[in-house]
Amino acid sequence: MDLTFTPQEEKFRSELRGWLDANIPAAWRDPSFWRSVSDDEGFELRRDWERRKHDAGFAGIAWPTEYGGRGGTPGMKAIYDEEMALAHAPQSANALGLTFLAPTVMAIGTDQQKRDIIGPMLRNEVIWCQGFSEPGAGSDLAALRTSGVLDGDEYVVNGQKIWTTNAMHGDKLFTLVRTEPGPGPGRQAEGGISPVGTNNDQSGALEAGTARRDPEARRSHGMHRGISMLLVDMRQPGVETRPLRQLSGASEFGEVFFTDARVKASECLGGVGNGWKTAMLLLSFERGASGISQYATYRRGYDEIVAAARRLGRDTDPTLRRELASRLVELECLRYHAMHVLTQVEQGRDLGSESSITKLQWSETYQKLFETFDHLLGLDGVVTSPVDGLDLASLQFEAFWTRSVTIWGGSSQVQRNIVAERVLGLPR
Amino acid sequence: MYFALTDEQRALAETVRDFLADRFDLTAVRAVFEDTAGDGHPAELWKAFAEQGWLAVLVPEENDGMGLGLLDAQVLARAFGAGAVPGPWLPTVLVGEAVRLAGSPAQRAAVLGPLAAGELVATVALRAPGGSFDQSGVGVTADIDPGGTRLTGTASPVEYAGVARTAVVAAKEPDGGIGLYLVDPTSASVTVTALDTYDGTTRLGALTLDGAAGERLPESNAAVLAELSRRGAVLAAADLVGTARAALTRTIEYDKTRVQFGKAVGSFQFIKHTLADLHVGVLMAEHAALYAAHAVDAALPDAALAVAVAKAKANDAAERATGAMIQYHGGIGYTWEHEAHFFYKRAKRLVGTFGDAGEHLDRIAALSIDA
Repeated sequence: MDLTFTPQEEKFRSELRGWLDANIPAAWRDPSFWRSVSDDEGFELRRDWERRKHDAGFAGIAWPTEYGGRGGTPGMKAIYDEEMALAHAPQSANALGLTFLAPTVMAIGTDQQKRDIIGPMLRNEVIWCQGFSEPGAGSDLAALRTSGVLDGDEYVVNGQKIWTTNAMHGDKLFTLVRTEPGPGPGRQAEGGISPVGTNNDQSGALEAGTARRDPEARRSHGMHRGISMLLVDMRQPGVETRPLRQLSGASEFGEVFFTDARVKASECLGGVGNGWKTAMLLLSFERGASGISQYATYRRGYDEIVAAARRLGRDTDPTLRRELASRLVELECLRYHAMHVLTQVEQGRDLGSESSITKLQWSETYQKLFETFDHLLGLDGVVTSPVDGLDLASLQFEAFWTRSVTIWGGSSQVQRNIVAERVLGLPR
Repeated sequence: MYFALTDEQRALAETVRDFLADRFDLTAVRAVFEDTAGDGHPAELWKAFAEQGWLAVLVPEENDGMGLGLLDAQVLARAFGAGAVPGPWLPTVLVGEAVRLAGSPAQRAAVLGPLAAGELVATVALRAPGGSFDQSGVGVTADIDPGGTRLTGTASPVEYAGVARTAVVAAKEPDGGIGLYLVDPTSASVTVTALDTYDGTTRLGALTLDGAAGERLPESNAAVLAELSRRGAVLAAADLVGTARAALTRTIEYDKTRVQFGKAVGSFQFIKHTLADLHVGVLMAEHAALYAAHAVDAALPDAALAVAVAKAKANDAAERATGAMIQYHGGIGYTWEHEAHFFYKRAKRLVGTFGDAGEHLDRIAALSIDA
């Protein structure tokens, strides 16, 4: 057991901390700041700030230097995540690109794609959106209907995507489209929710003899066939975006409509018809050290909730104290789990479906923490400023936000299916 | 960063698992479980423990022990929990810890060598009925006489009080402090009353002292009692984690093959989701036990919090997993002939041992809200 970082990693931490100290305006550390600016203004502030951070050498921490990264260790990435959270650094303007698209391009992109995509993304010259979900294809992602039809050396794309983060600010979209027709509308759901990344394929029933024994074989059949990942320019007449207002009042995501949108055939990542495989590879990159920054962020939330309760004299109720303590139990477990995950990454092990465990632990813990916020503050938690000098607006906003985290990125029910089937080996 | 067991520690876990599968499986556990008149202390098992060095794990090398840490000891505790293993391993090991932490060189020499060699069965008597596992729960009083210290009061339940030849007894002292005393439970001024218990994987007794002679561990005080209780809590948590994992694994295996409505019941989504949640919970409890053991070994600043987190989480995981073992075996899981009740009853006992959930949650609240 060794829970320390190397001297080189700690040196990186102090450099980063110094830069963040000097470059995050004091006003930004006040949680109310980001609510005081419009979505557009906030986005541009974050975009510019992140570009400066890149110029200072604090971007692509664990990426190879040949792709503009820093060539750091997984430990440095964990430190980076933690320090960003501790310093109240703004959210990345290009998170979908940086977290998902870039590592996928590095792994399977063409040389041209590597050159064209990674540098401009790091400099925030191109903001990337993810176009996966559709109105009829949420948890059952393979039910997607957006089509891409080859016309010369271009695909003509028609259809609709939804829940697209940063839709109103995006420049390009990595999106899943059906470039060959699927099995058609006669297909029925298999009962219950189908996890992202598992086969939900009725048409495979005829091949059940072989396919059911071999999930890889099943995945290549039916609904998962004929999907391609296209890289679509959003700044064209055939692409229309509309904001969606969330229950929190913010409009971080939106809808994307394709009407004869055009994309060069070369702007396909991972090969035509391989979109499902590419998407699963892409989703597998949501792991690593993120639990450490989540712990730092949520622990701050815990302390802020405690401080608010103390201000209101509600921190002495024995039942509520135990409820709060049981939230901290889960938060500390998240921290230990993050160290476990980092260890696995450093040892070169593939976590695979275990990343669903991480998602369940952080999202459920985060959501329950804010349920406790409600229990702890009672009626006083309903108003923005129950007593002079106490501003609960940011915590209230965060409490609403936590209702989304058990849905996006694969709902908790999808994650439980994955854990049950792929980790525990329970039958489908 | 290396948050994991070493290869040696993993090998140790496998050795215990293989040993138990080969020499002391659940059939052997059942024999002890059902022999309620017996002492619950199979001699051949104890001999094997000594030969394997499992009693010497925490004893310093200069006292003929292995000089390892709580991290290694929790590997053993976890494996014993998974096997529902009976015997006085935990209380004996904790007596070694008390003597190591607070004993004189002469006491160390007298106790630790024989303890490591399996020649001394010992137990800890730290709380009165109804008490918590800290200073406030101590129910024995020490009177300093010119002829020596005399201990009076009751400690209960005490694990293996009937077979222990040495007990470490916590007592309130005239100056308001706490001392730990070596007591001979077979002496005339000590009464050992066997207590009937539903958990046949241990034996429990009450220790009533009536002016019993006690040999003070000279370095002992309230802080040492707290440290001893923390170490006990870590090992109890590890046992619970092993118990929980075994209960869950057995349930998953059963539900993969048990067919109802023409399908394996493990294919039903509600059962899948329940088992998935249990897996996440048990995994987190495993992490927490690991971290707490290391935090105590390395005297990390958050060791007290880590121990409370580990015990609270292990309590919860074990309660839920062993309850689920009964539920998701259906009727057979509720029978005496099935092994589900070994795990369920062991967990019920250990949940209260070295602090129930409320005690640890209160500690966590004090550390994080009042600090």
